[in-house]
Amino acid sequence: MGSSISRALGKVFGSREMKILMLGLDNAGKTSILYKLKLNKVKTHEAPTVGFNVETVSYKKVKFNMWDVGGQERLRPLWRHYYPATNALIFVIDSSDRSRLNEAKEELYNIIGEKEMQNVTLLVLANKQDLKTAMKPQELSKYLELDKNIKKNRQLWCCVGSNALTGQGLVEGLSWIANNTK
Amino acid sequence: MSGIMLTDEPVRRPRPLGSPLLRKIQRACRLSLPEPDLGLNLDVADYINDKQGAAPREAALTIVRLINSKDIHTAIFALSLLDVLVKNCGYPIHLQISRKEFLNELVRSFPERPLPRPTKVQKLILTAIEEWYQTICKHSAYKEDMGYIRDMHRLLKYKGYSFPHIKEEDLAVLRPSEHLKTSSEIQKEQEIAQAAKLEELIRRGRPEDLKEANKLMKVMAGFKEDNAIQAKQSISDELSKLKRKADLFNEMLTSNPDLNDDALVELYSALKVSQPKFQKIIEEEQDDDQLVQDLLGFNDTVNQLLEKYNLLKTGHSSEANQITVSHISSSIKTNEGTGGALANELNLIDFDDETPHSEATDNAPTHNINGGNDIDDLLGDLGNLNFNQPAQDFGLGGSISLTGPSPVSPIVSTPSVTAPTNTSSAFDLLSDISSTVPQSNNKPATTTNNSNSLDLLGGFDSPSSNNNLSRPATTTPRLLVHESTHLKIEFALTRQSPNSIEIHSYFSNIGPSPIAEFTFLIAVPKTVQLRLNPQSGSFLPAETADAVSQLGFIDNVTTNMAKPLKVKWKCDYTVNGTNVEETAVTVLPSI
Repeated sequence: MGSSISRALGKVFGSREMKILMLGLDNAGKTSILYKLKLNKVKTHEAPTVGFNVETVSYKKVKFNMWDVGGQERLRPLWRHYYPATNALIFVIDSSDRSRLNEAKEELYNIIGEKEMQNVTLLVLANKQDLKTAMKPQELSKYLELDKNIKKNRQLWCCVGSNALTGQGLVEGLSWIANNTK
Repeated sequence: MSGIMLTDEPVRRPRPLGSPLLRKIQRACRLSLPEPDLGLNLDVADYINDKQGAAPREAALTIVRLINSKDIHTAIFALSLLDVLVKNCGYPIHLQISRKEFLNELVRSFPERPLPRPTKVQKLILTAIEEWYQTICKHSAYKEDMGYIRDMHRLLKYKGYSFPHIKEEDLAVLRPSEHLKTSSEIQKEQEIAQAAKLEELIRRGRPEDLKEANKLMKVMAGFKEDNAIQAKQSISDELSKLKRKADLFNEMLTSNPDLNDDALVELYSALKVSQPKFQKIIEEEQDDDQLVQDLLGFNDTVNQLLEKYNLLKTGHSSEANQITVSHISSSIKTNEGTGGALANELNLIDFDDETPHSEATDNAPTHNINGGNDIDDLLGDLGNLNFNQPAQDFGLGGSISLTGPSPVSPIVSTPSVTAPTNTSSAFDLLSDISSTVPQSNNKPATTTNNSNSLDLLGGFDSPSSNNNLSRPATTTPRLLVHESTHLKIEFALTRQSPNSIEIHSYFSNIGPSPIAEFTFLIAVPKTVQLRLNPQSGSFLPAETADAVSQLGFIDNVTTNMAKPLKVKWKCDYTVNGTNVEETAVTVLPSI
């Protein structure tokens, strides 16, 4: 049923292009997610991204231009330069690193507090679900208090568990974005 | 149901559409205004400076659309608004007006060949392009980003359009002002420019743009400290320049009693306006003891000098004479202690002979492009033009448009091989001389420049320096080294002994305006030694032959040298209030 709807939507919209901005703290797994989606390869022990990566991922007639911008503290002030023309934000969180959850939450609210980002579709990826200590997406979603803080009908959001090693959750996430973004 | 009816909503004027920026632009260009309104125009400029981000781009797009509107009034207002933005919003707007699409759109109404009488709007557009061409294309710190303006200028010229002459005053506004800025001001300017560039690169999104964006991001994120260092360097450069000015001022006060002399008045105001900045810099850089001490001392000196001037002006010459100020710029040398300035100076003088080719032709954008190539090049461009295609898409423009992915290399029509080049390329030339010349991209070579001028100025107060002036030098033939719009340089070479030659330099002002603050630097290869006497002066009255001269000796030059002797020279002067640098390498004939 769900898949038939999405197929129908795909037909209605034809092929389209979307700018997706992927942000999150350093070591959240943004670059791993990007290359798992793009090349279906897992790159381990990657050096932190200094700067950004951009790749095009096609899925069901939708061309996703995915921008993965480095998450180190000194790069964060530069995130705003990537906001213009963004259709959807993927905010990646390392669900196993509880000590930095608050930092992640603050950064997320900083981003969606910006005027240019108030109306973009928001997907939170609770990444690193392969680790035993990882928080479940429901738990993380509760911690982030998005239902409380995002006004209804203003911004669509969703929290999905993911694992960049196996690819779990990634395609689901993209498909949710494709179906829920104007 | 009729179109007009009352609803529950209160009756209000319909809200204007579009962003606040769009509304502000429309307000500044609306027809009911009798003439362009500077206040409204500046309001737009302030808004853009405040918002940055997409604002400069949105403004440029909106304005160019208004320029192409059928209504002449609106077009004229839009052009006047654009002028204000270019002058007040800096690099973010300059970047937008140098986009190919923007320029093509700007000349959309231009026919393939110029009309016998261009329309008023066309005239204004040509004026604007000429102004940009004369200013930001030449003096902006980011002039390499302005390539398409140069290309459009060239293309229009080729098509037979002639550009109006721009008054010097109008150009001066867009030329870099030599203010002393605090380090936070310099950094902020840099950050705004970098942010504007990054967003533009991301927007364009071609692979090469993204590559550059990545590089830029690294600079913006990781090398903030470098920016701070650069800012500091730039302060010290400007300060050295000011000290040199103070020295000159002092010199002129003691020797030149004409208090209304233009150069003197200019120096006075240059010193006066910098004083408030001292305070600010001291506040910001209070950790840097040496700089603070230096500044405090210099401030005292400036106070003394200004007082002296005022005393002289009011006729209290005896009191004025009691104020004696020693050379200021020489005191920095002792302050620095490390001999850094001196070391640089030495390095400047002996440049290595190892550089095999002439740097003048290598670095400067002044390759001798002969007429034939020139035409070929232009015709190559023309092949790509879309002549008959109706201009529908934005940026394709009218019958005149720039195409092709990359800007065409600029033609610079400078006549001789030893062509002098302006500011930054001059720095390139000098940077070849020594790797230890401090890195400062914006204000080329001022430190080295200064340390040298110490010695040049050193002999000023000795009365004997005038003897050099009256030296008869008519017997030796002169070598024309360089001739520009303002300045002519000649060398007279005589062999003094089997291994030493005398080099007598003559500087003539061949322009209609006086040249002030003239300094001449010369560098020779390591294998030979140079001794220089002080310059006979630093002021060249208008249209005066041999207004300044300088005597020097080059030692260790034997008659049978394997290679011809090359000297690198650089001069630095102020004319009509603008600083000019000229430099080149000259091959000396064997004597």
